[in-house]
Amino acid sequence: MNEGQLMTQAPPPKPNPGLFKRNPPIAGEAEAIEAAKNGDAEAFSQLYSLHKRRVYTLCLRMLGNVSEAEDMTQEAFLHLFRKIGSFRGESAFSTWLHRLTVNLVLMQLRKKGLNLVSLEETINPSEEDAPKRDFGSRDPVLTSSVDRVSLERAVASLPPGYRMVFVLHDVEGFEHNEIATMLNCSTGNSKSQLHKARLKLRELLRNPNPSPQSDASTEAAK
Amino acid sequence: MSEPGDINFDDLKPEEFEQYLPELFATGDKVSDDPRLQKLYAAHPDCLALVRDLETIAETARSLFEPEGDPSDKVWKNIQNKLRDGSALDDEADGGDDIPNGLSKLN
Repeated sequence: MNEGQLMTQAPPPKPNPGLFKRNPPIAGEAEAIEAAKNGDAEAFSQLYSLHKRRVYTLCLRMLGNVSEAEDMTQEAFLHLFRKIGSFRGESAFSTWLHRLTVNLVLMQLRKKGLNLVSLEETINPSEEDAPKRDFGSRDPVLTSSVDRVSLERAVASLPPGYRMVFVLHDVEGFEHNEIATMLNCSTGNSKSQLHKARLKLRELLRNPNPSPQSDASTEAAK
Repeated sequence: MSEPGDINFDDLKPEEFEQYLPELFATGDKVSDDPRLQKLYAAHPDCLALVRDLETIAETARSLFEPEGDPSDKVWKNIQNKLRDGSALDDEADGGDDIPNGLSKLN
């Protein structure tokens, strides 16, 4: 008996309303999920249409490369096709799909040699990339507004480890304990990485186009 | 990682305060409004500036959740092809359970 059959016989699990805050149910989605579990191709196509943009965007933000993001989007939906029977509705479908996608991306990154097993050692950026401690004069523009485009650009230029935690927490809304599980690190480390990512973003937003000369000066000062 | 707990923040230096920021932000509360930190902010306005900047970044990040671009059409075509020829089910190392029927119905 598969999970899909279980769903029809046992009372459905009570969903946690908090899990649906950022991912409210989409009209027609529940029916499409149930139909797709039974192999309805049209329903699967509908789920693809509903979720392709978010899955693709997630892949793009995590991987930073259009071609790889498209490949991973493809893999995510193929994986969804194989695994949709195990979706039990305990979280929003998009949350479940995003988690599935994140796991696939992390597997891909591990295959590529980015070892995320020990977060402390492997996804910490070099000292050069690390945020500088700066309590100095504040750029007043940053607090009043940060536009989406500037932030998107800054996120793309983050070192991979920082980008990963920032996207998972601040953009996707995963909790630190979930990120810790996904990245196989401590929750404290997830919090610390997030903080460093935000500090680095602040630095990038305040100084989006460092001149080559200042880079050279920094390098020379080492 | 430093735990804020019941610490008295009033006399901390900015660099000491920063050690507590990851935990303070992890509470989900607005750190700039935390009553325990107001004296520190008064003494060190740059600490408040830093906190507000980080809050702004975190708040703006939520807007990135809404996607803007679509994957190209070839992604769906590849998915269809893989499902039609059954290769999507062959390369699954983790069991391939819960596979729905009706592959042939895919358009």
